[in-house]
Amino acid sequence: MKGTQLGEFEELVLLVVGVLYPDAYGYGIRQEIMKESRRNVTIGAVHSALSRLQDKGFVKSEFAEATHERGGRRKRLFQITASGKRALETNHQLRNSLFDRISDLALKGLNFEGSF
Amino acid sequence: MKDSSSTYQPPKAADRFLRWFCREELLEEVKGDLFEYYLLERKTKSEWRAGISYWFHVLHFLRPFALKRKIQDSNFNIMYKSYFKYAWRNMQKHRTNTLMNLLSLGVGMACFIFIFIYIKGELSYDKFHNDSDRIHRVVIDLFESDGGILPDATTPPALAIALQRELPEIASSTRVFPKWGRKFLIGANEDQQYFEEELIQTDSSFFDVFSFPFIHGEPKTALDAPDKMVLTRSMALKYFGRENVLGETLTIYGSNNQVKRISAVVEDVSEFSHFTFDFLTRLNFNNIDNNWGWWNYYTYVKVNQDTDMRALGGKLLGFYESARPDQERYAPIYTQAITDIHLKSNLKWELSVNGNMDNIYIFGALGVFVLLISCINYLNLTIADSLKRLKEIGVRKVFGAHKKSLISQFLIEALLTIIFAIVIGGVFAEALFRNMGDVLGRNVSMLQVENLQVFLLIGLTGVVFGILAGLYPALHMSSFKVASAVKGIVSKSGRSAKGLRKTLLVIQFSISTIMIVGTLVVFEQLKYVQNSDLGFESEQVLIIENSRRISNQETFKAELERIPAISRASVADGIIGGLNWTMTVGTPNGVLMNYVVTDPDFIDAMGFELLEGRNFDKERPTDAQGGNLIVNKKALSDLGLTMEDVGKPVPMFSNGDSIINGTVLGVIEDFHFTDFKSEIKPFAFVYRTNTKDYSYIKLNSTNIGQTLTQIEEAWNVASNGAPFEYYFLDETYASLHVQEEKLSNILLYLTFLAVFIAFMGMFAIANMTIKDRLKEIAVRKVLGASVTGVSGMITTKFLALVLVANIIALPLSYYLMSEWLSGFAYRTDLGPLIFTLALGSTLLVAWITVGYQSVRAALINPIRNLRQD
Repeated sequence: MKGTQLGEFEELVLLVVGVLYPDAYGYGIRQEIMKESRRNVTIGAVHSALSRLQDKGFVKSEFAEATHERGGRRKRLFQITASGKRALETNHQLRNSLFDRISDLALKGLNFEGSF
Repeated sequence: MKDSSSTYQPPKAADRFLRWFCREELLEEVKGDLFEYYLLERKTKSEWRAGISYWFHVLHFLRPFALKRKIQDSNFNIMYKSYFKYAWRNMQKHRTNTLMNLLSLGVGMACFIFIFIYIKGELSYDKFHNDSDRIHRVVIDLFESDGGILPDATTPPALAIALQRELPEIASSTRVFPKWGRKFLIGANEDQQYFEEELIQTDSSFFDVFSFPFIHGEPKTALDAPDKMVLTRSMALKYFGRENVLGETLTIYGSNNQVKRISAVVEDVSEFSHFTFDFLTRLNFNNIDNNWGWWNYYTYVKVNQDTDMRALGGKLLGFYESARPDQERYAPIYTQAITDIHLKSNLKWELSVNGNMDNIYIFGALGVFVLLISCINYLNLTIADSLKRLKEIGVRKVFGAHKKSLISQFLIEALLTIIFAIVIGGVFAEALFRNMGDVLGRNVSMLQVENLQVFLLIGLTGVVFGILAGLYPALHMSSFKVASAVKGIVSKSGRSAKGLRKTLLVIQFSISTIMIVGTLVVFEQLKYVQNSDLGFESEQVLIIENSRRISNQETFKAELERIPAISRASVADGIIGGLNWTMTVGTPNGVLMNYVVTDPDFIDAMGFELLEGRNFDKERPTDAQGGNLIVNKKALSDLGLTMEDVGKPVPMFSNGDSIINGTVLGVIEDFHFTDFKSEIKPFAFVYRTNTKDYSYIKLNSTNIGQTLTQIEEAWNVASNGAPFEYYFLDETYASLHVQEEKLSNILLYLTFLAVFIAFMGMFAIANMTIKDRLKEIAVRKVLGASVTGVSGMITTKFLALVLVANIIALPLSYYLMSEWLSGFAYRTDLGPLIFTLALGSTLLVAWITVGYQSVRAALINPIRNLRQD
């Protein structure tokens, strides 16, 4: 099962791929991530994550028609695969179930002074 | 939109760069995304800033996923990777062979590294001085009784002054007056005093000539006043507990205490210096600047730049003649480069035990030999191995391997082995250094920076050599014809490889035999030296230093002789075999006479036998005056006297015109007081009643521990607090042959290793030969051959090789070792026993290594080797 873990940034990219469907491509994904998470991401980082996701089989891709605004270059459009969906669900469930198990007391603890 | 896409163009250089590194299949989308980004940026930013951002994002594509797979994809790399894989598999497949190869190469490498670093150290003596090529020692030889010349390192004190005055080539000169066996009681105060030996008295110009590194103080002013003193860092720490002790004072205690101001602290004297010191003070003797009679100073000069040393050498004799018009004959006066002193100078009264250039050559040759043997081993095993890999080569060729690629495959295998061997060698060498520090006389580690450099250098040479050594098998194996290779037919070249293998085995064993003979001869000579009758009873003689501190030595002696285990006690001003003085005796033809001042008990205590005449007598006060001597036979004959002249006055000293008579009171047998390299020299004993430096105690008990305690008690009563420092006379004699001792030790190790490697090689070769012939052996056995017959067949061949090696090596070693022995005036015989021993031992070990395997092979049930075909 090596290599099928979903990293934090990968998960983010994967989610955005789903959100932007059917028009998820590198630059668009980056813009969306920057808009939603307000963190600065380079195009290279997104491409790198996409390539890793594809290697793991979580996304598949194909070239779209050439458009004018890209100087005649084609986009590569990404789409979540079944296993990608499963990975997202697993992560989601894991987080939710863990979050649900946190007691109220522990969450209150967050208000303690100097905890950070 | 159309406008913007055509007007705005991202930086071209960035695009080119992207195209250069980015994978082709990614390029389109990446460029598209980047372009989109750029257009957006340009809307809000200047071209320049957008360009920067564009570059930033381009550079962020320098990630593994986007890079072109140049390295992984090329055929070249895949092949090399597979070569390494095969090399590794091959090493694992033939574990025994690999282990032997690595061990023997590693051991050879270690020996070589060890010797290389040792020699490098020996060659670097005195090079740390600035302008060391301009520093020279001026020495004047002495005349010996027979008119011969005794090379001598000492000079009169007037020489340095006169040289500087008369010869313009001399930039500066300085005199060094060493301890001459004295000890100095030095202290910062009354409570904290130590006896120190390493005190040199010298001139203010000491640091003009030498450049010992300063920690505190200035070379110019270090010794510019008579009461100044320079000391080393460790002495500063010893007396004051800190380094900067400028301005502190130390007192040299004696009949009149001298208070010295510390003017400089220098680094501890390097072990690569031919003389050492802990303290430097100014010379404080009167009237020495014109004294040509005392031969106990060393003269060092620094010459001007570009001085022709040969021309200067020519001028020296003329200078010496004009400086000493009173002399009739002039002994040679010459210069020695300071950097040559340690290895090439072997004069009387050197400042420390010097090395020996011959030994350097011997060690160097041995290092190369051992390395050679191990390389031959490697070559032999690789060739032997290659013959077994014919099929592999054939198949490779069938599948299209070029000759070139086969060569590189074998070279990589060679290289891999060599690199492993170098690492192993480095580890072994470190182990050697750790264990042999006492043999070397200094501490060396591979981890010292300069040695690490040497190691890397040797490693690099090793790799180059490895490539060369691997080249033969590589070329050889790649040259087989495909068809014959696949069939496993050993072609003519295979036979020539076996011929080469035999030759190499013979060379290995010749070297081993020579080394065995060498070791045996050196040990024989040492044994001879140690067991020789020195001419007197040197055993169980205890010498106590600092005896000058005893005010009444007669009482002390009487006190000692009351101890039952002491048969005799005496005092003298020198050490037989260690320290004696010389004077010219006899007229008109002077004899350079070694002498020691003693008391009358000395002759008895040391067991000298009087052949003629009588011993000194306490009751006759005239014995303790003038030229009344007890001499050895050599001195008697050199003086031109016979036994008849003993007891009669003979002319002994000339003082201007008047001749002073002296008497030979007694004659003793010749005895050794130098190393065995020189002939026995004239020696005389002189009786004086003054206080002397050394106490000699002859013991007659084996219970040394108890006797020593008793002696120490007596010493403590009489010695005014001087420390009880003693040693046995035997040790002095042993130290005369330190160089030979060192040689024999290193030789023993190296010979052992060389023989070990050679036999490991033979073992492996025999192992392979037998494996090749298992079927033949089986067939022979089926046809009725006996075990002895079969094993004999194999063993004889190897024994024949060893025999050939011996036939080559024995005469050669006879020649070499007689050369070495001829350096000794007294030497052991090169008897046949040594050579028989060498021959016998090599044959025996060869017989065991091969015989064991062959018998084992012959004992195997023939069916096991025959049933497969």
